[in-house]
Amino acid sequence: MGKWIVPGAGIIWLLGCFFLLRNEDLEFEIAFTDAFFFALGFLGGVGILDRVFSLYSPKGRNLWLIFLLPVLLSGMLVLAHRYLLNWWFSEEDLYLELLNGTFFLRLAVLGLAEQFVALLALVVSKLERQEELSRREAQMLELSKEAELAQLRQQLQPHFLFNSLNSINALVIAQPQKAREMVLLLSDFLRGTIRKDVQKWEILEQELNYLKMYLDIERVRFGHRLSIDFLVEKEAETAKIPPLLIQPLVENAIKHGLYGVTGEVKIEVECQKEGNYLLIVVRNPFDPSYVCAEGTGFGLSSVERRLYLLFGRKDLLQTSNQNGIFEVRLKIPQYL
Amino acid sequence: MIKTIIIDDEPLAAGIVQEYLGSFPQFQVLEICHDGFQGLKAIQQHQPDLIFLDVQMPKITGFELLELLDEPPAVIFTTAFDQYALKAFDAKALDYLLKPFSQSRFQQAIDRFLVQFTQGSPKESDEEKEIQLLAEKSNRLVVRVKNDIKIIPVHEVSYFEAEDDYISIHTREGKFLKKMTMKHLEESLDPGKFARVHRSFMINLNEISGIEPYERDSYLVKLRMGEKLPVSKTGYARLRQVLGL
Repeated sequence: MGKWIVPGAGIIWLLGCFFLLRNEDLEFEIAFTDAFFFALGFLGGVGILDRVFSLYSPKGRNLWLIFLLPVLLSGMLVLAHRYLLNWWFSEEDLYLELLNGTFFLRLAVLGLAEQFVALLALVVSKLERQEELSRREAQMLELSKEAELAQLRQQLQPHFLFNSLNSINALVIAQPQKAREMVLLLSDFLRGTIRKDVQKWEILEQELNYLKMYLDIERVRFGHRLSIDFLVEKEAETAKIPPLLIQPLVENAIKHGLYGVTGEVKIEVECQKEGNYLLIVVRNPFDPSYVCAEGTGFGLSSVERRLYLLFGRKDLLQTSNQNGIFEVRLKIPQYL
Repeated sequence: MIKTIIIDDEPLAAGIVQEYLGSFPQFQVLEICHDGFQGLKAIQQHQPDLIFLDVQMPKITGFELLELLDEPPAVIFTTAFDQYALKAFDAKALDYLLKPFSQSRFQQAIDRFLVQFTQGSPKESDEEKEIQLLAEKSNRLVVRVKNDIKIIPVHEVSYFEAEDDYISIHTREGKFLKKMTMKHLEESLDPGKFARVHRSFMINLNEISGIEPYERDSYLVKLRMGEKLPVSKTGYARLRQVLGL
């Protein structure tokens, strides 16, 4: 509510009462005191109702509170006003008669006014809530766009792209058929990346197809060194998953597998339903004594952040490291 | 015959170098290696005139491999990483090929090599040829132990000591030698974790167990491993600053 509305209404209330009472031939002091306290009561009531209904807006079966609360409140206020002035002007019999005689009139007027205020407060708080909601929505959209961009940047890692192009360059003369295959794979993969709607969840099967494309490209690059095993439960195939969530994990696994050990690298991807969750496990060989030259875990932390944005939880991604195998466990809630 | 070795972890990437090199019959590819360990062995065995070296490889990078060589051959880097270009030239690389590269760009690199090769490497630049990598914060050190490679995480280092052209790296596992200067070492380490306390000593701040006065104006720093190392006047000021004394 505008800052001036409430005090303005208070002043109008004060003046209105004052002139009405003066019309009844009351002395200035009495009329003003009565009007002043009545206006004060009105403002107090407005304040209380505004506070109450901005914190709690009754809905459905509790809707009667909108009517009851203002009536109760004005009853209390009018009573308080009556007793206060009865005590204050206990000598002024004529005034007291008027005061006591207009009790129900005052109750009705104040009750109606407070009722009106209550409804107004309710509408305003609803509007404010709506505004807040749409603002949050806009923020969420902004965030997901950022995530999308970050994902894109990660997908289109220049490193990956240039090395793939280099492989194609190497294949062109010696194995033209293979070169063509690689061009098509790379195009499909890039198209998939650009088209992905980060908001829309994908069926696991589709997401895995996309992942396989990526892995096929990597296999062309690294040849026999890299092998990948998929273990997907039949039930899990139809589970849903936010797009581009598994891929950074697999990318991470490949990177650490390929650059952390010198021999052959076997990556395992396991998907299964576990209660209300889709569980995805990615394993790669790992040399515990290996120190990565650059910072590690960027891929993991970005997935963790996205999970937090999506579900507000930090326990959905777990890593362990045993017997030279690094394991990442990702849980996707399925109740949505 | 010009002895050549190709080191790249991607078979196809090594293949294209070999293919391009096919049109220069005077070059003989002795070996194709897929990681730095193989690469080091091959270089020591064949003493090549030229190597083609990828940067990102399993276990150790191309730069780290180069650091391990006492008399490195001519090097042409091949990589998809742009950010390494500057560093490669600082490492006195002959040229730097950005993947994917064309045959004509490859030819340029070969021409450049041939000019240097036929004129013979000028003697006076030998000193300069010593590999000095551009300082880059690194969290590991790669050293050669006989014919093997050891990777030491910097946090496991207790202190460094300058010994002529070498730095000796003291860890709980023992002492390792690496050819580098104190200045270069200082630039590549995190100043929040290591401090140069003396002309010839650089210590891991986490390893300090105490500091005691020695002679007038000089101190000794005690390390967890038991050593006591001298601290110079400026070293003491630096130490006070980083430790917030």
